[in-house]
Amino acid sequence: MERITKLISGLALGALVIANLAAGDTAETVLIRSATIHTVTGGTLLDSSILIRDGKIAEIGPEVNGPDDAEVIDASGKVITPGLIDSHSHLGLGPSGGTTEDNEGSDPSTPQLRIIDSIHPTGMAPHENSFRDSVAEGVTTIIARPGSGNVIGGQSAALKLSGGTVDEMVIKFPADMKMAMGKKGYGAKGQLPVTRMGVAYVVRKAMVDAMEYRDSLERYERKKESDPDVVPPKRDLKNEAMLKVLNREIPVHIHCSRIDDILTAVRLADEFNFFRLSLGHGTEAWKVADLLARKGVVVVVGPAMIVYDEDNNLVNLAKVLDDAGVEINIMTDADVVQQEFLRYQAATAVRYGLDPEKALAAITINPARLVGAEDRIGSLEPGKDADLVIFDGDPFDIQSSVSRVFIDGKTVYEKEQGDK
Amino acid sequence: MNSRNKFRENRVTLSIFAVCLLFFILPVMGSEDGGAVVIANGMVITVSGDTIEGGCILIEDGVISEVGPSVEVPEGAEVIDATDKWVLPGLIQSATDLGTGEGYADANADETSSPNTAEMQITDALNPFDKDIKKARMSGVTAAMVSPGRKNVIGGQAAVIKMRGKTVEEMALKAPAGVKFSLGEGPKDTYGEKKQLPTTRMGEAYVVRKALIEAGEYLAKQKDYMKKKEAGEEAEPPAIDLSKDPLAALLDGRSTAFFECYRVDDIMTAMRLTDEFKLKTVLIGCAEGYKLAEEIASRNIPVIVGAFGIGPRRMETQYLSIETAGILAGAGVKVAIKSDEVYGVGSLSELPLTAALAVKGGLEPEEAIRAITLTAAEIFGVDDRIGSLEPGKDADIVIFSGAPLHYLSVAERVLIDGKTVFEKAEEE
Repeated sequence: MERITKLISGLALGALVIANLAAGDTAETVLIRSATIHTVTGGTLLDSSILIRDGKIAEIGPEVNGPDDAEVIDASGKVITPGLIDSHSHLGLGPSGGTTEDNEGSDPSTPQLRIIDSIHPTGMAPHENSFRDSVAEGVTTIIARPGSGNVIGGQSAALKLSGGTVDEMVIKFPADMKMAMGKKGYGAKGQLPVTRMGVAYVVRKAMVDAMEYRDSLERYERKKESDPDVVPPKRDLKNEAMLKVLNREIPVHIHCSRIDDILTAVRLADEFNFFRLSLGHGTEAWKVADLLARKGVVVVVGPAMIVYDEDNNLVNLAKVLDDAGVEINIMTDADVVQQEFLRYQAATAVRYGLDPEKALAAITINPARLVGAEDRIGSLEPGKDADLVIFDGDPFDIQSSVSRVFIDGKTVYEKEQGDK
Repeated sequence: MNSRNKFRENRVTLSIFAVCLLFFILPVMGSEDGGAVVIANGMVITVSGDTIEGGCILIEDGVISEVGPSVEVPEGAEVIDATDKWVLPGLIQSATDLGTGEGYADANADETSSPNTAEMQITDALNPFDKDIKKARMSGVTAAMVSPGRKNVIGGQAAVIKMRGKTVEEMALKAPAGVKFSLGEGPKDTYGEKKQLPTTRMGEAYVVRKALIEAGEYLAKQKDYMKKKEAGEEAEPPAIDLSKDPLAALLDGRSTAFFECYRVDDIMTAMRLTDEFKLKTVLIGCAEGYKLAEEIASRNIPVIVGAFGIGPRRMETQYLSIETAGILAGAGVKVAIKSDEVYGVGSLSELPLTAALAVKGGLEPEEAIRAITLTAAEIFGVDDRIGSLEPGKDADIVIFSGAPLHYLSVAERVLIDGKTVFEKAEEE
């Protein structure tokens, strides 16, 4: 009997949860009024309004009227930005320094791996609620990446921090191929790559293998025309993945900090004609800022925003690169810096002289563009996804708080009285 | 040899040149030689007293001699114009292994050959040329309490250093400055891996208890010997035990016990040991301290709060909160703040921003500034020298471009003992 009661109450609870989920799925029609709006792509609008309808930004400007049934939010004195995007994150993949799910340490070349198969959708201990906490600080999208333990780590994904499953969250997959220069753990096992030239060889070999795979596929297609019984080449998941790089279908993101590794990354990109190269970290990228600008290489700066030159003088990495004409993104490398502190990463660059508008672009439109999702996210424009953050002041000020966050027009966070 | 000959040849020219130069150099040399320096017309946050808008500070022989709305400028004094700037005591970083390692590399602050290494002195691990010392200085930090890390239950002896000098002796302000303990994951992980005591939290408490009981016996023998000696009786002095000596000083009330602990159970263990051995205790870390504010306050135990959750979390820090500092201060606990994440606004070189996070969490801004200056100095027993701007104290001063806890304000000039040790380059 007791069991039946439990079962019934369990069912009732389940029904309640489903009902709530369904209610949450109804996109709100919301008119946010009288705010300072950083559109990112269209300047900053004072005392203006945004109308959200069907999960999209319907209208934006000084004179916007909503339908009678719209929820009206008075945002006077508040500041609105697009939902923040972290260009390089390991959220939901376990604690750095602990056991993580982003480094398949059995083989230095694993392009066939897909980061979405490792991500926990709400966060793992010791920070189980990391997704929720990140949204509460205005982060609405991350580019989740394999770690840097392998030379070719696997395929990255852009995902929104809203949805019950990873599949619901993904907005771009594969977003790019993650690679990593520098020393790897394989040296200790006496396995390739022991050296940096070994690292470069792993990439070169994978690219050449992919070329041969492409050729064999083409040969097969040609033969098939005359001989319908020809046996197709065996599917090879590694080569299939690298073929996307070879065919310039996806960009390449390479972890590198030291100048030698940066130069190797650029050399490989030239050699194999990568479609859009971005560097992760780029600690010493300031030494070759002009070269990177000329080559159109994007640098994703962080978690170290501030680096030091040989005389230990401070170098504001994002600013030096931006000054030289390099497109910058800013990252937390979560959880090296916790995901929710993304805006303070940008604030650090502003603190030491980066133009705040450029800093905001580096955590909104620039990462959106990096993975080709700029048609949906990264700025506040009619027709784009209604991912936006209402702050009670300067978004970079530590004392400012997030008042409300929308993803796809749905409220995913709202500050309660007493929240810090 | 060659260079000496050259010098002789040029001596006459040089002398004349030198005389001319003297006129120009003297005012600048003033500060180099410990001559008078005046910081004029700044927003002077004395910390110990009133804040003086448009305030001035007179520095003579490396020491603050006057603070007020105006000071007499001695002849030849260097005058630093601080109009629109904020002038603060040099910031104090607490409980850090700063200067004992190179960045991310393994620090030298954990002698993990045994869980009790009370005999270790952090000063022996200190590299005065460590890059981090200059970085800290550039951010306005002029002193730090450096201590062994968190891997050993009893790590060794801490020290308070100034961010200047070529030798440890020049840097040291107070050494030793107490004994560093650590409870929780640090020792448990370190020795658990080796299957050695302590592999549990109760094992950690036992290591402390055993060491303090043995130190008590050692102290009793020492006292017994002194008594006999004073009475003129014949007595053998007990053999010096480098490990028990610093612990005996704790039992005798001559030294401070610094307990690094994060979880509520570890914090309680630290306080249980404090009660049991009547220790003068300071807690470090204290991630879950907000759950025990009354217990900590009732024992009059100061707390050095940090980290603030910007960097990777451990199991024992998963429930940390930026409200801890504010809640503890509200309960009457003396609170200092440290920052020692590797990156981000919680990093070693962004101490004021970590204090700003505490303000966001509810700490009063004045308390937050005190937490990284005078309160820290009081906790380490060096408040007679540093921590506030008042006559007689060392002229360790930082001039900020604006309100020090605002993210756009940075240290523009840093003085230690009246000498400028950092000056921000002009914007191009």
